[in-house]
Amino acid sequence: MRILAPAGFQARAAARKRIHWTPFLFLAPYLFLFVSLRLGPSLIGLAISFTNWSAVGVPQWVGLANYQALFIDPRFRDALTNTVIFTAMAVPALVGLGLAFALFLNQPHRGRGLGRVAVFTPYVIMPTVVGVLWTWILEKDFGLLNVLLGRQIPWLVSPSWAMLGLVLAAVWSMVGYNTVLFLAGLQDIPTELYEAARIDGANAWRSFWSLTLPLLAPTAFLVLMLTIINTFQVFDLVYVMTSGGPGTSTLTMVQYVYTTAFQFFKFGYGSAVAMVMFVILVIVALIQTRAYRRGLESIY
Amino acid sequence: MRRRNAIVATLWYAVLAGIIVVMMAPVAWMISTAFKPELQILTTQIRWIPDPPTLEHFQTVLSRHAIWRWLVNSVVVATAATLLVLLLDSLAGYALARMEFFGRDALFAVILSMLFVPLQITVIPLFLIFANLGLVDTYAALILPVGANVTGVFLMRQFFLSIPGELEDAARVDGANDWQIWARVVLPLARPALLAVAIVTFLSAWNAFFWPLIATRSDAARPLAVGIAQFLTLRPGLAQTVQAYGPSMAAATIAALPPILFFFALQRHFIQGVSMTGLKG
Repeated sequence: MRILAPAGFQARAAARKRIHWTPFLFLAPYLFLFVSLRLGPSLIGLAISFTNWSAVGVPQWVGLANYQALFIDPRFRDALTNTVIFTAMAVPALVGLGLAFALFLNQPHRGRGLGRVAVFTPYVIMPTVVGVLWTWILEKDFGLLNVLLGRQIPWLVSPSWAMLGLVLAAVWSMVGYNTVLFLAGLQDIPTELYEAARIDGANAWRSFWSLTLPLLAPTAFLVLMLTIINTFQVFDLVYVMTSGGPGTSTLTMVQYVYTTAFQFFKFGYGSAVAMVMFVILVIVALIQTRAYRRGLESIY
Repeated sequence: MRRRNAIVATLWYAVLAGIIVVMMAPVAWMISTAFKPELQILTTQIRWIPDPPTLEHFQTVLSRHAIWRWLVNSVVVATAATLLVLLLDSLAGYALARMEFFGRDALFAVILSMLFVPLQITVIPLFLIFANLGLVDTYAALILPVGANVTGVFLMRQFFLSIPGELEDAARVDGANDWQIWARVVLPLARPALLAVAIVTFLSAWNAFFWPLIATRSDAARPLAVGIAQFLTLRPGLAQTVQAYGPSMAAATIAALPPILFFFALQRHFIQGVSMTGLKG
C-alpha cells in the first residue's frame, strides 16, 4: 500500500497536467483550419453583407441597404421563387422515391444487391458530368428521352420546361443517397418486432403502417432535412445545364450569388443574398424540428 | 400460398429490372454516344451498340483539352484532402469525445452549428484570404478548406464515444500516454469510421464545384468537375453547337468511369460509409 501510494499520486498529478494541455494539442491543427477557413469566413461574410464592397476600393458600411435592395430586386425574387419551386418539385420526388426504392430493395430476394448498386451508381458521378450527360439526354430533336417519348419537348430551351428538366436530372443523380439512408434506417428496425406483430395477427400492410413507418420517422426526418438543404443549394447542375436560363427561368439562389459576386464583383450584395439563404435554411430547420417533435408526441 | 409467392417474386423481379434499366440507361447512353461515329449520334434511331465503334471523340477531347491534367489535379486534391481530414478529424474527434477540458461542449456546439451555414457565405471571404496569400489557382487553395469540414469531426467523435473506456484505462495503467493511446489503441479500432470518413470526404472533394470554380484560373490546378463544366457552358450564345455531343460524352465517360469502377469494387464499404453520414443532424 505504502509503495503504491506515491505512484498513484504521481499519476494523478500527471493527469492534472494532461488536462491542461493535451486536448488543445489534439485539437489545434483542426481548429486552426476551422477558425481561419470556416468560422472566420462565415463571420466576415456576414460583415461584408453590410457593406457596398465591390472588389476594388475600401468597403463602406451601408447598414441594411443591401437587404432593402433585395426586396425590390426582380432578379432576386426570381431566384428565390425558382429555388423554392425547384425544392418543392425535387424534394417530394427524392424522398418519396428514396423511400420506395429502399422498401423495395429491402425485400428478401436475391438480386437486391444489384438493385442497390444500380440505384446508387448515379450518385458517384460528379454533378457537372451529370449535367453534361442530361443536357444530351434532354436534347430536343435527338435526345434519348424525346426519342423514347416520340415527342419533341423543348426541355432546357423553353422557360416552361427547363425547371422540370433540371428536376429530372437532379432526382436521377441524388435518389441513391436517400435510398441508402432509408435502407440503413430499415435495417435498424429489430426483426423481432415484425415476428411479434405477425404472432399478434397483423398482416403485412398493418405492420408496415404500425411498425415500419413510425420506426422510420427519425430517418425520414433526417433525410427530409438533408434533401431540403441540398436541393436548396443546387448550383452545379444549373450552371452546366441552363446557366439560369432561358431568361431567368432557372436562375437559383446560389447561381445568383455566383453571378453577383464573381461576375459583377458586387461582394456586399452577393453576401447579402447568401445570408438570406442561411436565414431561410435555419427557419426551415426550426419549423421541421418542431413539427417532428409534435409528430413524435402524437405517435407515442 | 406457394403459387402466390411465386407471382409476388416474379413481379418483384420485373420491377427490379425496370429500376435497373432506368437508372443505368443514361450511363449506358453516355458510353454508347462516346464511341459512336458522328452520323449515328444525331438520329432518331435508337442504337445502343456503335457500329463501328470509334475513338475519334476521345482523340478530339484529348487533343483540345487538358483532361488528363484535370484528372490528375482531381486525384491529387481529393487524396490530399482526404488524408488531411483523416489526420485532423481523428485527433480533434478524439479530444472532443474522450478528454475533459474547459469549454469542450461549447466548442463542439460551435463546430456543429457550422453545418447549417451554407458554404456560399464563406466563399467570398475565402477567396479574399487565398488571393491575399497569393494562393489562388494552387492545390493548397482547394485542399485546405476541406480540412475545415464539420462532418468528419462529428463522425469521428460519435465513433470514439462508442468505444469502451476500459481499453484506454488498461493502456494507461501500462504506462502509455495520450498520444500513444490515440495512435496504438484507439486508431486501429477506428478503422470502420476512418474508412467511412475517407469515402465521404473523397467523394465530396472529388465532386466539389462552387469553390474550385472560383479558386482556379488555369489548367494548373483546375479539377475535373470544373473542367468538364466548360464543355457545354462555353457554347457560343444559346445556339448549341450540335456536333459537340460526341466529344462531351467522351469527356463525361472519362470523368465518370473511375468513380463508378471504384464504387463497384468497394460497393459494400461505400454504401456503409455513406449511410453513416446519415447519423449527422
